Amino acid sequence: MLAVVGHVARKETRQILRDRRSLLLILVMPIVLTFLFGKALETGELRQIPSVILNQDGSPESNVIVTAFSTYDEVQLQGEVATLQEAQERLAQGKIKAAIVIPRGFMRQIEAGEEAQLQLLLDGTDNNSAPIVEGVARRVIQRYNTERAIKGLWARGMRPDRGRRLIQPVFVQTEIRYNPGLQYLSYVMPGVIGLTLQLLTVMLMAVTIPRERERGTLDQLMATPITRTELILGKLLPYFGISLLNVATILFVADRWFNVPVVERLALLLTLCALFVLSSLATGLLISTVSRSQFQAVQIAVFYILPVFMLSGAYAPIEAIPDYIRPISSLFPLMYFSRAVRAVTLRGAGLPLVWKDLVILGGFVLILLYWAVLSFRKRVA
Amino acid sequence: MSLAIETTNLTRRFGTLTAVAGLNLSVRSGEIFGFLGPNGAGKTTTIRMLCGLLLPSEGTARVAGLDVRRDAEAIKRRVGYMSQRFSLYGDLTAEENLDFFAGVYRLSGPERRGRVSQTLERVGLADRRRELTEHLSGGLKQRLALGCALVHSPSILFLDEPTAGADPPSRQRIWDLLYEAAAEGRTILVTTHYVEEAERCQTIGFMHRGRFIGLGSPEQCKAEMGEAILEVDALPVMQAAAVARRLDGVTGVSIYGHTLRVFAKTTTHLRHHLQEALVAQGVAVKSIRAVAPTLEDVFMSLTRGAQDDNGRG
Repeated sequence: MLAVVGHVARKETRQILRDRRSLLLILVMPIVLTFLFGKALETGELRQIPSVILNQDGSPESNVIVTAFSTYDEVQLQGEVATLQEAQERLAQGKIKAAIVIPRGFMRQIEAGEEAQLQLLLDGTDNNSAPIVEGVARRVIQRYNTERAIKGLWARGMRPDRGRRLIQPVFVQTEIRYNPGLQYLSYVMPGVIGLTLQLLTVMLMAVTIPRERERGTLDQLMATPITRTELILGKLLPYFGISLLNVATILFVADRWFNVPVVERLALLLTLCALFVLSSLATGLLISTVSRSQFQAVQIAVFYILPVFMLSGAYAPIEAIPDYIRPISSLFPLMYFSRAVRAVTLRGAGLPLVWKDLVILGGFVLILLYWAVLSFRKRVA
Repeated sequence: MSLAIETTNLTRRFGTLTAVAGLNLSVRSGEIFGFLGPNGAGKTTTIRMLCGLLLPSEGTARVAGLDVRRDAEAIKRRVGYMSQRFSLYGDLTAEENLDFFAGVYRLSGPERRGRVSQTLERVGLADRRRELTEHLSGGLKQRLALGCALVHSPSILFLDEPTAGADPPSRQRIWDLLYEAAAEGRTILVTTHYVEEAERCQTIGFMHRGRFIGLGSPEQCKAEMGEAILEVDALPVMQAAAVARRLDGVTGVSIYGHTLRVFAKTTTHLRHHLQEALVAQGVAVKSIRAVAPTLEDVFMSLTRGAQDDNGRG
């Protein structure tokens, strides 16, 4: 049996190596994808939200507010507008996401001890930006209020430090472990690695059997005493080799340009990647055995990969997915892979913490391969 | 005498279509058996069932003494198969293709290498062993495919149109290889469209709509043809054909260059009637003579007969 597996593997390897253009694509694409995905998500936190200020008051106090807004990185003030109508137009055109309006009489009301207002016009279609601008406005105003109160108390004879404690008796003390910069990138990078590996392996593997079917070579192969297991394993091996090469380049890119600490836990990360890649290849093989044509195989692969993108917790925490959908997520090896790699790269977890995910990934490999073998038919009924 | 292939009521249906309809086939060990018949007659389906690529819907088939339903994998070890469509790896060299199939047939080490170079010599590809298969000419591809079917020394060869589209010299080379294989005691079941190739077979079976409508040696087939033939040399030949077709008792007319072959159940009186009718229509008749049927005549006659039967049924 091993000899025949070897013959199939050697044949596949020759074919892969001779298809230069595909080979180049296979080797370069993962690097490019990891780089692009990583760079695209690097600034995952929204910054520089385009906004305008409508300063109708034009008073010293309103100028303090304007200056305060300009110190926040989250908003990018694109100058001032003269009328509310102009602000609304620019919002409607999508040129800005927020308009900060300081109404006429702002300072007079404050001085008179009346309630003054700062108004925000937000574009709710972008549900990420709106709350961020709102948060900035709250912080600006809170600081303004506090400073004014301290000044007021000082005028009545209370020292500023005591006044501050009177107004803000409680502070929140936060200590962030594991991802101190709270960087989205560090969180999402394991998912990016997994997605890139998955995309490539599933697609590559899915078309191999239909390609033989379309070229007529499968027919000749089926007329020989080759067993299903020999064929499946023989096809798997060379692609596993290529995938390991891709794992190496992707991890290198992640380590070099995206601050993923790869070297510290290299053996564990490689094991995780190898098992994950095997489970992906096995998924591709399963698709391959049930597809009649390469076109159909690619279709099924896309239909598989899309939900994986959305549901596996590669981009967003799995906890954000409703309970009734989560069982579906648990069917995707990528979920366990992202979870485990995250634990290793962000928390420095070792084998004791991720062995369960390793076992689950191994289980996926065995079940999917067995399934692929079973669903392959040597003879048409 | 031992039978290499034996089927009883072998049937294969695809949905509502019956591709093979209760075929009874016996092929003796060491014989060259020719499958003839128009496209869609069921030749390929039959071969695919015998090779263990397709399950029969009904009936039984034994190949090399083994049942095709139960022992398909054991059969595959003993037979070689060359499919109608070119089905080797175009991106492998001739030698790599042979080596791969030899490996898959479980030949190992020195034996495999020996068989591969032997086969390369045999099919005349030794000097082109390192060329990519897709760059070989059609005839060479066919010889290589035959080599791949032979590399594990099978006792039975199934060849589905091994010479389709090949030029006459290439066809001759392939038939030389087939004779050589037969001389080594291998049984050969070969499908063909070429009647002159059928002449080379020991037994031929005419298939039509999934069953045999004629079976026997080429000589038997000719002797048992239920029609007689008149060869007519007349001018203009098209007009002569039109006249002949209208005549009572004529079942068919084929045109070959300047002569007609007129088929009839009996030619006793026909010859006279035909002569009169032709002359009456102003056709210049050079000669009319009764001739022995060729295999092609048999083929035409059988196909026509079967179509008439179907028309009535």
